[in-house]
Amino acid sequence: MSYCVNCGVELDSSLKSCPLCHTPVIHPGELQKMDTPSPYPMEKGQVETVKRKDLAILLTVVLLAASVGCALLNLFVFTRTLWSLLIIGICIILFVLFIPVVIYTKQPIYLSLLLDGIAIGGYLFMITYLTSSPRWFWELAVPIVALATLLAEILTLCVRKLPVSIIATALYIFAETAVLCVGIELFIDRYFGKPLSLSWSAIVLTVCGIIVIALITLLSVRRLRDEVRRRLHF
Amino acid sequence: MAGKKKHDKKIWYELDLSAIVYPTLQRRDFSSVYRLSVVLKENIDPEILQKAADITLKRFPTYKVAIRKGLFWRYLEPNNRPGPFVQPDIKNPCMPMPFKANNRYLIRIYYHECRIALEAHHSLGDGTGGMCVLQTMTAVYLRLLGHSVSNEGFVLDVDGTPDPEELEDAYMRYANAQVRPPRPGEKAYRVRGTKEPFYTLNIIDGIMSVKQVMAVAAKYNATITEYLNSVLLYALLQKQEHSWHRKLLPVKIAMPVNLRRFFPSKTLRNFITMVYPSIDPRLGEYTFDEIVVHVRNYMRYYINEKFLRGDITTNAATQKHPLIRIVPLFIKDFTVRLFYTKVQDKNSSAGLTNMGALKVPEDMKPYIERFDIYMGQPFSSRTNCAIASFEDTLTINFASSIKEADVERYFFRKLVQDGIHVKIESNR
Repeated sequence: MSYCVNCGVELDSSLKSCPLCHTPVIHPGELQKMDTPSPYPMEKGQVETVKRKDLAILLTVVLLAASVGCALLNLFVFTRTLWSLLIIGICIILFVLFIPVVIYTKQPIYLSLLLDGIAIGGYLFMITYLTSSPRWFWELAVPIVALATLLAEILTLCVRKLPVSIIATALYIFAETAVLCVGIELFIDRYFGKPLSLSWSAIVLTVCGIIVIALITLLSVRRLRDEVRRRLHF
Repeated sequence: MAGKKKHDKKIWYELDLSAIVYPTLQRRDFSSVYRLSVVLKENIDPEILQKAADITLKRFPTYKVAIRKGLFWRYLEPNNRPGPFVQPDIKNPCMPMPFKANNRYLIRIYYHECRIALEAHHSLGDGTGGMCVLQTMTAVYLRLLGHSVSNEGFVLDVDGTPDPEELEDAYMRYANAQVRPPRPGEKAYRVRGTKEPFYTLNIIDGIMSVKQVMAVAAKYNATITEYLNSVLLYALLQKQEHSWHRKLLPVKIAMPVNLRRFFPSKTLRNFITMVYPSIDPRLGEYTFDEIVVHVRNYMRYYINEKFLRGDITTNAATQKHPLIRIVPLFIKDFTVRLFYTKVQDKNSSAGLTNMGALKVPEDMKPYIERFDIYMGQPFSSRTNCAIASFEDTLTINFASSIKEADVERYFFRKLVQDGIHVKIESNR
């Protein structure tokens, strides 16, 4: 039977140090200590993970059935245009969106975002079969989707790796909005063969620029930041 | 209670008034799970324990359930999947309890050497209900080993049918005061600490003699609960004083009161309400004697049938409100969670529950060493303290998910200073 020299409590013989103050238990007489088993088990428990298998099967079947059904209708009944591609594309997008939620939950978020971008690109490509020329797809849709995907990836990276706060997140979102709008306008200019110049996106750029500068100031001045947090807390 | 007995398959139970809150707080790393355990004098035989569990749970329909979502409220549904199975105990009790895992059961039964432990989700019932399940199961277990144990107190007759009163939401029967006193709400001091990684629950048990504690409490003219509450307040005040703080805040303890003491009901579900003994250090420095006087006056003034009835009425009013009832569940969840994290959780510095002297049937006493109860993982970084006594053994169980054990140290040191012999066990 040993007592903690610091706290004065009696310690269970299995304890090597006082759990209250971390003072080690040393018996000066017998330095090779007797090992008594702890009254607590050593194994740690783990919660079993919830299987969403049923939901995954249901979703896959529903989406597959919808696609196949529409494809058959398109082939044999309403054959005038390739309208079923629109529905099949949506089904593919939904499936890709659901992969990280129900099918493979460990999928890294960056890969998920990339796949989402590719799925949306694929859907737009399917639409080209319903339009007269696929030029809009290659010169407008692909660059814009690629840019949006890239920005989404960067936003995720920033939110996950850099210090998180509401103000910082707002900063990233406004900065990316500006970039996206400028990008869209430049791509549109190029598509119509106009000289590259900013018109409407310049307004977005200016507004976002002002907000971004304000946010950076807020972030760098601690006093201001605390003030804003205090006034806007919910 | 809303047992609709058209035919057997349609039985279901509404959540009781306190149980509504617990599932909304469910997170990946948090569930409101509490643990009750009994230490016997011989090693546990898992096979017999499994048989005892199977026999016992038939008698407790509100514990053999799964929780499900409706459009407006959650509800409990009888669960006939295999289980719950007894399992070897683990180092980190009260780990989160996802609703869909464990065959959807909301209870877990563990055994370790001489100990049987029951963990239950708080939405099923409070400590008194859980204690009925645990003691009945222990009695059945002992009977299967050939001992004779009578039905009395917490040990219910397993061959009997459940009394409808055991399944009722007793709050609704007594929520009939004509005024709704406002809820007390002031930010309390909160213990800050280094968070332990997921799947860790630090436990420190103090074991002492009831007679000794009672003698010391009597010196201060207090009951054991009042005295231990004061010691915890004292420990928290010391902790606040010695750690960094911008300004002092009042120190408050959230203490559940068993309402069955004041409002007769046999219910096995939740029937508790919270009182908040507190000390405000901004008024000046309190000596320990002053703390005891303050706590004693507070308890004796506040814990009585009239005030508690007012409290229940206030709590029930929100749930009964027709506009609130038709709001979809997900909006309710969002608001309840927001209210809890922003108001309720900041309202107390620590939790303390005292189940008092546990009674067991006379012929079961020789087989039992002691009882332990744990309030489970705290919602935010703080420490929870649970007290129970059996014969002359008083156990104080601290559970926390932070690394620092300062509050526990101040607490037990004060007991030692007052001349109480404390024995410490821990899983650290």
